[in-house]
Amino acid sequence: MKSNGLTLTRKRLLAILTIICFLFCALGVRLFVVQILNGKDLRGKAAEQWYRDLPLEAKRGIIYDATGQVLADNYDVYSVYVRPNAVKDTGAVAAVLGDKLGLDPVKLQEKIGSKRVSEITILRGVDSATAESIRAFDLDGVYFTADAKRNYPYGNSMSQILGFTNIDNVGQNGLEGYYDKYLSGVDGYAYTATDIKGNETGEGIKYVPSIPGCNMTLTIDAQIQSFAENAVKDACAEWGAKNAYMIVMDVRTGGIAAMAGAPSYDNNDPPRDDIHLLNALSKNKMIVDVYEPGSTFKIFTTAAALESGNAKTDDRFFCPGYRLVDGQRIKCWRTIGHGSQDLGEGVMNSCNCVFMDLAQRLGVGTFYDYLETFGFGQKTNIDFFGESKGLLMKEESVKTVDLARIGFGQAVAVTPLQLITGVSAIVNGGTLYEPYFVQSVDDYSGKNVYTREPKAVRRVIGEATSQTMRGLLENVVSSGGGKKAGVPGYRIGGKTGTAQKYENGAIAQGKYISSFIGFAPVEDPRYAVLMIVDEPSGYVYYGSLTAAPYAGRVFERIFSYIGLQPSQSVEKPETFAMPDLVGKSVDEAVAILKQHKLTFETAGEGGTVTATLPAPGGETFAGDVVLLRLQ
Amino acid sequence: MKRSHGKIDVVLLSVVIGLVGFGVLMVYSASMYNAQVNYNNQYYFMFKQLVGAAFGFAAMIGLMFLDYHVLYKLRYIILGVSVVLLVLVFIPGVGVENYGARRWINLPFFTLQASEVAKFGFIIFAASYMAKYHKKMTTFRGILPVVAVGLGICVLIILEPNMSITICVGLLMFLMLFMGGARIKHFFIIGIPALAAVPILILIEPYRLNRLMAFLNPWASPLEEGYQLIQSFYSLGSGGLFGLGLFKSRQKYLFLPFSESDFILSIIGEELGLFGCILLMGAYILLIARAVRIAQRATDRFGCYLAGGIAGIIAIQVLVNIAVVTGSIPPTGLPLPFISAGSSSLIVFLGSIGILMSVARRSHKSVECLAAQHERRRSHRDRRIGKKVQNVVSKAVTPGGGAGQVAAPAQVFDAVAPEENTG
Repeated sequence: MKSNGLTLTRKRLLAILTIICFLFCALGVRLFVVQILNGKDLRGKAAEQWYRDLPLEAKRGIIYDATGQVLADNYDVYSVYVRPNAVKDTGAVAAVLGDKLGLDPVKLQEKIGSKRVSEITILRGVDSATAESIRAFDLDGVYFTADAKRNYPYGNSMSQILGFTNIDNVGQNGLEGYYDKYLSGVDGYAYTATDIKGNETGEGIKYVPSIPGCNMTLTIDAQIQSFAENAVKDACAEWGAKNAYMIVMDVRTGGIAAMAGAPSYDNNDPPRDDIHLLNALSKNKMIVDVYEPGSTFKIFTTAAALESGNAKTDDRFFCPGYRLVDGQRIKCWRTIGHGSQDLGEGVMNSCNCVFMDLAQRLGVGTFYDYLETFGFGQKTNIDFFGESKGLLMKEESVKTVDLARIGFGQAVAVTPLQLITGVSAIVNGGTLYEPYFVQSVDDYSGKNVYTREPKAVRRVIGEATSQTMRGLLENVVSSGGGKKAGVPGYRIGGKTGTAQKYENGAIAQGKYISSFIGFAPVEDPRYAVLMIVDEPSGYVYYGSLTAAPYAGRVFERIFSYIGLQPSQSVEKPETFAMPDLVGKSVDEAVAILKQHKLTFETAGEGGTVTATLPAPGGETFAGDVVLLRLQ
Repeated sequence: MKRSHGKIDVVLLSVVIGLVGFGVLMVYSASMYNAQVNYNNQYYFMFKQLVGAAFGFAAMIGLMFLDYHVLYKLRYIILGVSVVLLVLVFIPGVGVENYGARRWINLPFFTLQASEVAKFGFIIFAASYMAKYHKKMTTFRGILPVVAVGLGICVLIILEPNMSITICVGLLMFLMLFMGGARIKHFFIIGIPALAAVPILILIEPYRLNRLMAFLNPWASPLEEGYQLIQSFYSLGSGGLFGLGLFKSRQKYLFLPFSESDFILSIIGEELGLFGCILLMGAYILLIARAVRIAQRATDRFGCYLAGGIAGIIAIQVLVNIAVVTGSIPPTGLPLPFISAGSSSLIVFLGSIGILMSVARRSHKSVECLAAQHERRRSHRDRRIGKKVQNVVSKAVTPGGGAGQVAAPAQVFDAVAPEENTG
């Protein structure tokens, strides 16, 4: 059967086999491209359709106070899911879920009936009792995942510091926001292998466990915080004030022991529906907002003048009730003047003229150098979002008049935090510390991941000046305007402040910010307390009367709480009935008060006393501050 | 010629048994979930495949012992039966409609896919015709009957419709004609109108165009035209180099349609990886190479064309199937020979292996081998003699008479070179 024709056939068969082999090789290359080169990408996409994944939310870290009290933790709630394809009796599922969760069964049935979606979230945040009661029905296609809800045992307290989380447990603001990456942990997943219709294929569930968030310990002491919370709440109520704030700082470290603002809100149930209200209430104005400090700022003028050698304690100043600065007449708060006084008396009297003089002596350059050293015009770098730098006029545009005003705390705006941080530096021996809330972070197993050491930013004044300042400020409390902040037996230093508020660049009549900044004990300062009463209503608006008493009350409680023994023997103060000064002239009244060793504030303008606080006959004691209403 | 001279091709038989066994295993793996869900019996498709394999091996053994020349004598009857079956598909009650196409005929035990039979009907007819009229194959007229029968079968199959088998039969027709010695220019004369038919077919059935687009970019329509191919990619990609392991496919959980039939290679790729796919392709190449060898060693033209046609249809179907599964050509439904679930395909392909063996057993393999070796040795010897002659001549003749020197050994070469010429 061999012929020339069959030879051709054999050649062609060989050609065919060659082509076939070539095509196989080409397809082999193609398989290599699909399986190896594109493999990883395809595998990832394929896995998305193979598994239904339910997130296992990581437990958010617990926040503790300095003593181990829980400030924020979690409790279990459940999310209820339905996978329509796995539901056997749509009607029954809709009825049970509708009944237990308070939802419309008709709408539920509609939702569950649609087979287009593989998974429907019915409700989140279901409490465990309700979830358990649904589970008892053993419904096909109904699933639960445990979620955690944030719990704040102190409710209203510390809301503005702690901040809150959103419904997905992501920190939104405050420390919850600032430290979210520590607190949040890493979510895990439960992967269920299913077929294309969502039916489980019986390979079981694969768990990728979540990693709980880290626990945080704050410098806040819940006990001291509660003293502060009570103070601001009571002050708001007593003086009909718009807001009241208090900061308690450990002057040796810069740690915030308490920070309270009123009014507040319940952090367990923030008004999420009213975004404006929520923003207003949750804003921590002590860090974010600025105010004109007024007389409390005189501490810095004095410290700068002493430290730079521009003033000595025995320098004498004369106050006629005003100073002419560049031809402009700037009044002292006491229009009849303070007469001749040394520096200590000037501080005690809070005489504006003295501080105008000191500022002039310093000059803009030196004064500004000191203000910047004290931390003004810059952030304190506290561990909190949205901190303000405060407002300092541009150095080159400060005129002599402005310089004089800044000397007694006007034409400058600071945050309450800046003020207490600066004062703490002046009284602690001269070291400025960076303020902070969080002292340590531990992971869920208890391993420490972060420990905050107090951070000394710089020295602002020398020890000698610091000691002098402590003495000057002690006098303010023992025998000056800060009297009501005093605690018998304890040495407390401080300074009151009363500033008029500005609105739209003009002085707002009758609107004041009254404050007191103090520290104790003077011999070895531990705590600084700043109390601010924002817009006290009525004519009692002096810091000495509105803010100082609350600072004193908090000091007293702190001393008792920390077990600080009194350093001075407590003399039972001599009490007597308030003399009747109504109808008398100012000069007569002042003479009578001097006999009784009383200091005083005045309200209104005029020469005749129309009312006094305490009222005539009321209990008062030597050295107390009384209010005279004039007409 | 009536007496068998050759032995059974052990390599071919082993490869075929291996492929069918592997196919049963993979059909089980790919279909177990689907079968459990739809038939409440995870072995449903595997049992069907086993029954098909049993019938197939029976057909193979029967045809192996049958003298293949019987097929030559029955060529018109076989062609007639093929055509009748293709027509029967269209008769309601006899033909079964599935996936919008009429391809199956109901038989007591299984459904028969008529086009599977027709492919082999065409091979037998074409092989017979080309063997009988091999001298006419160089003329256009001579190849016309083969073309006419091929086109007729194509038309009947495309009416089902079944694009993929149509293309396979078309390719098979060209392969047969090429093997039969048709002239290359004649291919162009038939080929150009065939290519022109493609846009017409697309115009008649616009869904073909969508399918074409889907193959170029399946991600554009991941839930419609591109779905099947994307799922196939997911399978293959998940397998990587060594696969997820036998029975470990995830795509078989109803994600990949036709996972036990036309797209079984995707599951093989997923469970056994590129490694498994390459091994499988190697097995096919070995099988095809053995079939081509049988064709080359056939003792007559009919046996040669028959074996070549069978090798061709196996190669075409395997290549088209792999190309479809890997997204290299537009998707068409075509089973992977010996592996995919489907009794008709399995029986018919195993039957064709029986025919191959029948051809092999009747070839003068051993005698031919000896003859070939003998020839080769002789030609070497002749070449050596030629060189000696050349040396002698070149020494004898004066330099410059180049033409004479070259001519003499060239003639020697011509006389002995291709061994086949001596037959």
